[in-house]
Amino acid sequence: MVQLQLDPFLNELTSMFERSTEKGSVWVTLKRSSLKSKVQRNKLANAGEAIEYRCLIRATDGKKTISTSVGPKDHQRFQASYALILKAHMTALKKRERKEKKKSAEINKREVTSKITKKKS
Amino acid sequence: MVYITEWDKFAERSIELFRADPESTRYVMKYRHCDGKLVLKVTDNRECLKYKTDQAQEARKMEKLNNLFFTLMARGPDVDLSEVTGKDQMEAQPTKKGRGRKQ
Repeated sequence: MVQLQLDPFLNELTSMFERSTEKGSVWVTLKRSSLKSKVQRNKLANAGEAIEYRCLIRATDGKKTISTSVGPKDHQRFQASYALILKAHMTALKKRERKEKKKSAEINKREVTSKITKKKS
Repeated sequence: MVYITEWDKFAERSIELFRADPESTRYVMKYRHCDGKLVLKVTDNRECLKYKTDQAQEARKMEKLNNLFFTLMARGPDVDLSEVTGKDQMEAQPTKKGRGRKQ
């Protein structure tokens, strides 16, 4: 599988989210990997060289798969952009009802606080 | 497949699973917009931990777990996470009240 650079990957991930709003899902997988075959790894290990690991990121919508990888130097920048994309597209998740039902706001509040205390305990 | 229902348990056990076998543990997020569902899975092909939610608030917790996994996977399982988690705690406190106003 061809690996993309970070920005093209993020762009493609964005369009995957946009394409799957009506039906379908998006999967994103994180895995620690050396990005090398077993043979290559064995060679390095035999030569006593250290194997460099990176975080491999794969995304698919069931039709197309894209991937990229981040190392110790660039993962922070990537994870920030990734978090922004998720936040922008995971809009179908339920928010706590508050603004829409002002009349029942008090009841909701009670429910919410009881939920919080339950979770804490 | 049994889902873990408590977030803290899920997060804790996922990190443990990764630390036990960093090379074969993967972390998968599945988001289904039409059903408004989010499923997280961590597996090393022997054990499988799953968590399911439809709450936007949980997505914020996931973001923190994402950051933990990015750090662990990019820097290695022995990395000191106190830097990441310490920051999270500081971020988590002011957001405890007044949620939803951010949007």
